[in-house]
Amino acid sequence: MSQTREVISSGNHLAALAGADAGCRFMGGYPITPSSEVIEQMSDLLPARGGVTIQMEDEIAAVAAAIGAGMAGHRTMTATSGPGISLKAENLGLAQMTEVPLVVINVMRGGPSTGLPTRVSQGDVRQAKNPSHGDYRSITLCAGNLAECYTEVVRAFNLADRFMQPVFVLLDETIGHMHGKAIIPTEEAVQAGIVPRKSFDGAPEDYHPYECEPDQPAVLNKMFTGYRYHFTGLHHDKNGFPTEEIETCRKLIQRLEDKVMMHTDELELNEEFMLDDMTGAEGEVLIIAYGSVALSAKEAIRHLRAAGIKAGLFRPITLWPSPADSIKKYTDMIKNVLCVELNIRQYTEEVERVSSRLDIEGLYKVNGRPISPYEIVNKVKEVF
Amino acid sequence: MGTKTLMRFTGVGGQGVLLAGEIFAAAKIKTGGHGLKTATYTSQVRGGPTVVDIQLDDEEIYYPYANDGEIGFMLSVANVSYNSFKDGVQEGGTIVVDPNLVHPTDEDRKKWKIHEIPIITIAKEEVGNVITQSVVALAIANTMMNAIDKETLIATMLSKVPPKVHAANIKAYDLGEKYAREAMAK
Repeated sequence: MSQTREVISSGNHLAALAGADAGCRFMGGYPITPSSEVIEQMSDLLPARGGVTIQMEDEIAAVAAAIGAGMAGHRTMTATSGPGISLKAENLGLAQMTEVPLVVINVMRGGPSTGLPTRVSQGDVRQAKNPSHGDYRSITLCAGNLAECYTEVVRAFNLADRFMQPVFVLLDETIGHMHGKAIIPTEEAVQAGIVPRKSFDGAPEDYHPYECEPDQPAVLNKMFTGYRYHFTGLHHDKNGFPTEEIETCRKLIQRLEDKVMMHTDELELNEEFMLDDMTGAEGEVLIIAYGSVALSAKEAIRHLRAAGIKAGLFRPITLWPSPADSIKKYTDMIKNVLCVELNIRQYTEEVERVSSRLDIEGLYKVNGRPISPYEIVNKVKEVF
Repeated sequence: MGTKTLMRFTGVGGQGVLLAGEIFAAAKIKTGGHGLKTATYTSQVRGGPTVVDIQLDDEEIYYPYANDGEIGFMLSVANVSYNSFKDGVQEGGTIVVDPNLVHPTDEDRKKWKIHEIPIITIAKEEVGNVITQSVVALAIANTMMNAIDKETLIATMLSKVPPKVHAANIKAYDLGEKYAREAMAK
């Protein structure tokens, strides 16, 4: 039986379908352009599958409700845009600290503040890395075509349960609203790939959810199954109760770091487009882009290659943690590097950091309009 | 990329131009090709200028917007949108406007082939349902651009509207086609 299906849909609708297919049974949301179609679609999909979609009174309550469902043991999500993430930030920190799995879809629009509600942007990339205060590692995925609005949301649910923390999926207005063909996995294939979060099945008195290996997440049993523990945003002990004991505090925060950073191999996902014939020869051009901008970059590369310029695209799909080694490999090999972003240098700075290079060229746009392939072609011809 | 068709529908929010774009894209995909619709609108949901770009291609489409200067066909039912988006149309390209709402300049008439078809009046008075204007527009675009097999397009269109208005929408398509042929014969 085929493992894939062809659908005609939009990015936001595919993201919702992915949630439903991946076993999400609760969505707490509050509609905001350009993400509203996600909650709209979930309000159809989830009740039909025995789940609940609830529109709360605001973004803060929406994420709080979703976290509550995650605490109870369900696969849960919320969807919003940048202003909504700003409001949800405090509770996202709570989910990081309590290690509650949750998928957060952010369909990016122009910012800061209410910005440009209906216009495209990638201005929340830096925000996604650290939406809330304190030390933790964000896991942020970024869809670069229609199919990935589905597959990355599915992956986000699996990673949330594996790492026991919120996982961001960044869409942008262009990807969220574009409407066309996508080849996506069947629901059966998605369900076959689900690995539920770990649980403890020993005696209740032996259960200590936050007592785990230094590079592993907490093991949170479903509520109301006879295992008692405590949730708090304060530093906490093995049973989740507040503590200021020096070693316990250190180990907890170090573990939040290491549970992600010691397993980046499970997170990294990139697309390498027309890079296989790169040799490091003079004149080759490496474009780094993600999200909808990568679509423009691919078309630009078609034009550049037709004009005799050997260009290729490196597209991180997992933005955070960044694919540091892969970026380093290509930026070591290819001299001419151009980052293209719908923000000002938000990911370029990461490319500079991991490549140890300060001569990375950039093409940025922040007026709510997309970057066209011709603008990329012209920039390449101008700077290299 | 020689098989590409680029069309742009413009109006104001609420006129149903989005649906027309989705129908085109879906019909092209059903014939085995690639179709992509992107819409741009303002935060003023009703009454703000809206533009829908439709790309139909036998090859995979990456960049989802029509590049300015490459659009072969534009249809406009609002003056504010016409003025904002007309420059995307290639010189010599076809523009259809509702003459009751859109007022091209003499310069525009030199630059593009401009046809005047009272789309909204046709929908309101001849079909009897103003909402069918998007199907009148669909028929005009397809007749002028010969983009998609007519039967496939109509079948796709009918799959996206409630059964009780099928007859009205078929009528709207037929009228759109008739007016388009008359305009082209002028």
